[in-house]
Amino acid sequence: MFVMFIYSSSDGKKEALSKKLVVVSPHPTEFMIPLIQEFENETGIAVELKNSGTSDAINEIISDSGTDILWGGSVLSVGPYEDYFYSYETPNRVDFMEEYADFSDKITCFTNVPSVLMINEDVIGDIEINGYEDLLQDELKGQIAFADPSKSSSSFEHLVNMLYAMGDGNPDKGWDYVDALLKNLDGVLLDNSSEVYKGVANGKFKVGLTFEEAAFTMLKAGSHVKIIYMSEGVVSTPDGIYINKNSSRIENAKKFVDFMTSKDAQRYIANNLGRRSVREDVIGASMLIPIYEMLSCDADRQEVIENKQKWLDTFTGLSGEVSDE
Amino acid sequence: MSKEVRSFQENIRRTFIRYSVVPVAVIVVLAMVIFVFAWSYFVAHFNEVDNHEVEQEISRDMNIYYDMVDTVERRYLETDSVVMDKIFDVLYSKTDEFGEIGNLILLSPDQKILFTSKGSVPKYLTQTVYSNWGVWNAIRRNPGEISTTLYESNLYVAKGIYDGDTLKCAIVYMVPEKIITDSIIGSSRYVYITDVNGWVFASNTWVLNDEYGQIQDDYSLRSGYMKVGNHFYYSYKTETGKGLNVITVNDLTRSIWLIIVLIGIIVVIFAAIIFIAYRSSSNSSVRYTRDIKKIEDAFEAVQNGDFDVKLNINSSREFMTIGNDFNEMLSGLKEQINQNRELAENVAFSQVKQLESQFNPHFLFNTLDNIRFMAKIDSGAADKMIVSLSGLLRYSIRDSREEVTVREDLSNVQDYLNILQIRFNKRFAYNIDVAEDIMDCLIPKLLIQPLLENAVKYGFAGQEKLTVDIKGYQIKEDIVFICKDDGAGIEKDRLEEILHNLRSDADSSQHFGIYNIHRRIRLMYKGEYGLDISSVKDEGTTVRIVIPRHYA
Repeated sequence: MFVMFIYSSSDGKKEALSKKLVVVSPHPTEFMIPLIQEFENETGIAVELKNSGTSDAINEIISDSGTDILWGGSVLSVGPYEDYFYSYETPNRVDFMEEYADFSDKITCFTNVPSVLMINEDVIGDIEINGYEDLLQDELKGQIAFADPSKSSSSFEHLVNMLYAMGDGNPDKGWDYVDALLKNLDGVLLDNSSEVYKGVANGKFKVGLTFEEAAFTMLKAGSHVKIIYMSEGVVSTPDGIYINKNSSRIENAKKFVDFMTSKDAQRYIANNLGRRSVREDVIGASMLIPIYEMLSCDADRQEVIENKQKWLDTFTGLSGEVSDE
Repeated sequence: MSKEVRSFQENIRRTFIRYSVVPVAVIVVLAMVIFVFAWSYFVAHFNEVDNHEVEQEISRDMNIYYDMVDTVERRYLETDSVVMDKIFDVLYSKTDEFGEIGNLILLSPDQKILFTSKGSVPKYLTQTVYSNWGVWNAIRRNPGEISTTLYESNLYVAKGIYDGDTLKCAIVYMVPEKIITDSIIGSSRYVYITDVNGWVFASNTWVLNDEYGQIQDDYSLRSGYMKVGNHFYYSYKTETGKGLNVITVNDLTRSIWLIIVLIGIIVVIFAAIIFIAYRSSSNSSVRYTRDIKKIEDAFEAVQNGDFDVKLNINSSREFMTIGNDFNEMLSGLKEQINQNRELAENVAFSQVKQLESQFNPHFLFNTLDNIRFMAKIDSGAADKMIVSLSGLLRYSIRDSREEVTVREDLSNVQDYLNILQIRFNKRFAYNIDVAEDIMDCLIPKLLIQPLLENAVKYGFAGQEKLTVDIKGYQIKEDIVFICKDDGAGIEKDRLEEILHNLRSDADSSQHFGIYNIHRRIRLMYKGEYGLDISSVKDEGTTVRIVIPRHYA
């Protein structure tokens, strides 16, 4: 009987479909809500949000035509799946900084998220940390929060960062450091990125390898944490917005891309959400150091995309060896 | 007939179930259906009534605030500047009934504060970063119109005062949450006040929110019954037209479980009732139809030949009458049958007697004529013939027994043969071969003699000599006598006539001995017994008799 009622009222739902957009995203909830709210208010399009880790989000968008947009995930992680995306060049691209504008049409850069170290000032004591090298100190054994790079894209960014930074630009030379770091992790490898920043914020770990936005959010929330930009160099990779090529709501998806890369949205993100804008005309939050003050480290994007699986396998192999010892 | 005829007891039982259990079950099911429908109707109805109450109250509040913003705009336009006491005057008079003035803010286009009733303004109204974001975005998007915006959990009623395309001043009123919450607290159901996109401003529960603080689409997109997860809900949504929606939701899960349990209990009770009724109807129908069964059994017994059954019924008057009448009828019937049997026996007996006594007058005449002749030429032979004839006559009139032993009947045959022997002398020969083990068996009186009579009658026609063989023996439970002669035989037509007469069991008026024998055997013994005859012209005749073997 109730089934009857339920179906009799489903007409309204169909009508609403045309003003709908299904978005899957690995972004933190607190990050997404104000942006989605504003997008809905401005366009009248109702957004259905799905929150999941980067690799699950990628699977979702390439396997389910009902999901219109993948919002987030670094271009290094998502790059290999380019074929599944719809080509769209947002009019906002002309305002992008040069390094974010030269991507293919299937990828629209959204923000720049540098990898950082985050320390808990309350529990770090007098251990000094300025970069990757300092993580190998014996006092930190088992006190370092790091997620499995095969499960967390921000951890993969860190792996890339340390391979290039510790290998002096040649990733193959960086594995000695990775091995040493794995030993100092003492078998602790977390399942997702939120365990890293939350673990450091609540004092479970002294230091964590995370991304700037997460650290910024913790800082804004009043946690006694500090952001450390690695002295060996910081690789900053943009994350992107990707439209499902099988989407049935391409027009809504385009509006979403336009909105998220608009000056207002980027300005809001940069000032309130701790991310660095991809636009030239937006300056960052006062709580963060300007981009030119950090020592940047270049990673060859193509090389990273090509070697992603190989590096992950190597990492898994190394971590297996370490835990076997 | 393909359908099996049911017993009276089964019919009684079915009738009982059909007219008692089924109607009650139907009524209960109907009652349950009506109950569920009525219940769901009232759930929906009261939900909607409550929803409209909340919606009207909120609409009224919002109208006041809209009106206030418009009034403030007019006050501003009177002087094209912010006059504090004028604006406070509007604010106090409009919010009088709420006891809470809220935060009325007037901002310049470059986000400078011109007026605030609370002394503080959220930074996202004043910082340039937000000049196109949130409330400001709403003001600029809807020039000259009042818009309702939910931002950072606060509800704003905002309007830009425009001079052509140029923004002169922005009026922003921060609606005190308490005013809206007051109208929904205390409701017996879940009430959500959301903006048009389903973001929750106020609610008296958080159970239906998704992880982002937005009400789940299931409730906000449509009204009606729905199942979300393991819960059942009735949701109803109204739009105030002032940028707010009112969604009222009933969690029906418990009620539905209660109804399911209730229905379950009723079903179990009914199953029990039906089970009990079925069993008891089976028992009671057996009890009530016991008399019918008795009558049925009695009739069956009578059919199988038992006339001594009695019907003893005293459970109900009707059946008692039937029983008594049956008993009376049966005893009458029994008497009648006995009388009939006696009568039939009498008839058969007298018939047999009559048949026995048919002593052939030709034979008597011939014999006497022979005796007269013999008396002249051979007095010894004449004497022997007289003795034999007198033996024959005595035998035929002696005692009234129907059956005699084979031995007795054979001795009578011997008398007969003596006479024939003298009469035909060398022209006649015979052989008697009767097995010793049947000598004491009983056979109808005068069984064999007519066979000889018959042989002589047909055998001598046109021929000089005749030989007769008589054989007697037993086969299984029967005794067989065969009388075979080498005489002239019987004409084909005549034989057929004889056979026909034999088979028709007719009481032939012709006084042939073999008819007599056959007729008597048929009357005396039940079964395939009797006489058969076969004959070939000029070769001889064979007569065969079969009777049941039995002793005295």
